[in-house]
Amino acid sequence: MRDHLPVILFLLPFATAICLPMVGLKAHRWCRPLALVSLLVMFGLAIVNLLLVREHGEQSYGLAGWLPGSDPTLGIEWVNDHLASAMLVAISFLASLCLLYSGSLTPTIGKHRVVPYYTLILLLISALTGIVFAGDIFNVFVFLEVAALSAYALVALAGGRALIAAFRYLILGTLGSTFYLLGVVFFYATTGTLNMAEMYQQFIASPELLHSRAIVGGMTFLFLGLGIKMALFPLHAWLPGAYTRAPDAISPLLAGLMTKVALYGCVRILFWGLAAGKLLEPVPALTLLGGLGMLAALAGSLLALAQQELKRMFAYGGISHIGLILIGVSQTNQTAFAGSMFYLMNDAIMQAGLFFIAGAAILHHGVRTVTDLPRLRQSPWLVAAFIALALSMIGIPPTGGFFGKWHIILGALEAENYLAITAIVVSTLLTMAYFQRLFLRIFGHSEVVPDSAEGSLALPVKLAVGLTAMLVVVLGLCSGPLIGFFRLTASAAGL
Amino acid sequence: MIEAHDSPIVRSAGKLLIPLIQLFALYVLFFGQYGPGGGFAGGVILGTSFLLAILVLGPQAPPCRLAHQLEHGDGVGLMIFVGVGGLCLIGGGEFLNYSNLQLPSLDDAARRSLGIVLTQIGVAADIAVTALSIVFSLGRQNSQEASHE
Repeated sequence: MRDHLPVILFLLPFATAICLPMVGLKAHRWCRPLALVSLLVMFGLAIVNLLLVREHGEQSYGLAGWLPGSDPTLGIEWVNDHLASAMLVAISFLASLCLLYSGSLTPTIGKHRVVPYYTLILLLISALTGIVFAGDIFNVFVFLEVAALSAYALVALAGGRALIAAFRYLILGTLGSTFYLLGVVFFYATTGTLNMAEMYQQFIASPELLHSRAIVGGMTFLFLGLGIKMALFPLHAWLPGAYTRAPDAISPLLAGLMTKVALYGCVRILFWGLAAGKLLEPVPALTLLGGLGMLAALAGSLLALAQQELKRMFAYGGISHIGLILIGVSQTNQTAFAGSMFYLMNDAIMQAGLFFIAGAAILHHGVRTVTDLPRLRQSPWLVAAFIALALSMIGIPPTGGFFGKWHIILGALEAENYLAITAIVVSTLLTMAYFQRLFLRIFGHSEVVPDSAEGSLALPVKLAVGLTAMLVVVLGLCSGPLIGFFRLTASAAGL
Repeated sequence: MIEAHDSPIVRSAGKLLIPLIQLFALYVLFFGQYGPGGGFAGGVILGTSFLLAILVLGPQAPPCRLAHQLEHGDGVGLMIFVGVGGLCLIGGGEFLNYSNLQLPSLDDAARRSLGIVLTQIGVAADIAVTALSIVFSLGRQNSQEASHE
């Protein structure tokens, strides 16, 4: 059973997704419970998987029995290690929470779209699982494409103006996939393998290979493609529109997972494929990514400060955090790497939580822009959760956001990269500024315009909002052992 | 809007050709084990045979009604694929490791051969239905625009 856990984790949402259209033909009220149950079971199995990996160590799975380790590796290898299993717990947890939350919001989607809605969510989750496990760069491409295609359709489900945003996302996302595939071709032509572990061995054996033109070109295309997928600052144009216009129940899922999983893929290829932890040759690429990260951290928070619409503001906040994580990854030491992976998990939860709040605010109070915010006073539950999440976004002690940022800064100090520290601090101040703007609106002196409130919050919405807010605090309180866990992943990455 | 073709020559030629195309599709599908071909190519050919029938004989003819019903079975092909893979898992091997198909009185080579044929049939069914549903959704778009005008 343990040997087959990775593929079972993938098949659970996938098999449910292909059954749903047929179930939905007869009775579409069964779609939601079925999808929810499969994701909850997946969450349980993901936790079991994490515990097993902690106990028995890394595991590699050869699909169809094509054993990895034969030379050259012909089969498809899935790697189930510490980082992958932790990522999977985050993905399945957020996915089940989003599904729970979406129950009260389905009326906004429309009855005839219920079946595709749940099918696409499950397909998206199974594709993300595939990216997390993939042990070769071509499989990352395949699952990136499946995830992206589901995401385009999910954004477009809202209809109306969302169609334009979805089309823009489609064009830019396809461009990103194409660049990525082109990069894969260069790598394959030079090394003769797609398997990351084998590539790693080759680069360790002959580091001068990393200077060859084909590999440099390949890296450029690869990271350009992934940069579009993870909305790295100058390539972020698709993100704010897509997240703002997507159905309210979809934005949290996309904001929490899509860009983070692309970033995870980038880290995987850098450290497990290009041996960035062991060799000096990939350092220029890391420095460049770190520099772009600084730019993104500053520009993202600056642009967030200028937004009127709540969802758009949070989307830009997410862009700045992608930059922050990249800064941490590019310091090439254990502390910063562990901190940035910890921050990655935190950021997934914070982003999902913020979009949960934004969605509930729109549905129950009609709050879309900053000027509507005083109306949120009618709902103390939302405001309390919002305060906890904002503290974590800014990085104030008892929350997870603080400890992630703190370790990234410590790592940057270790690497004597003072420019990075300045960028992080300035971006933190800017984040504080835009949250202050929001809280001044909520608590400041202004007339409360009664009363567009449509009853009290539904229980699932309360649960989703409350759980995410609690979790950022809990993650902060447990940061010691968690950072220790991510230090293990850093040493697995060769740092 | 899709309508029956008004030329009797086209219609009778279509009636003659469609079964041949479907036979060829099956040939490509099963020949895939030994040479170029397989589920993907076979599925596309099978799908186009239905498309030809719809274009030539019109939306009221039996093939088109059959195709509309098939459209709901979008996941059946994938289900066959996942089902065969899942049987291998239950048999104790890796996903899609056909030698673990629990079938009595078959040796290893025969199990692998059967496993591949079954998954390819799944792929072909899925591709054929996908080709149909793409064309149907484009047709629907057109008829909606026409009714708006």
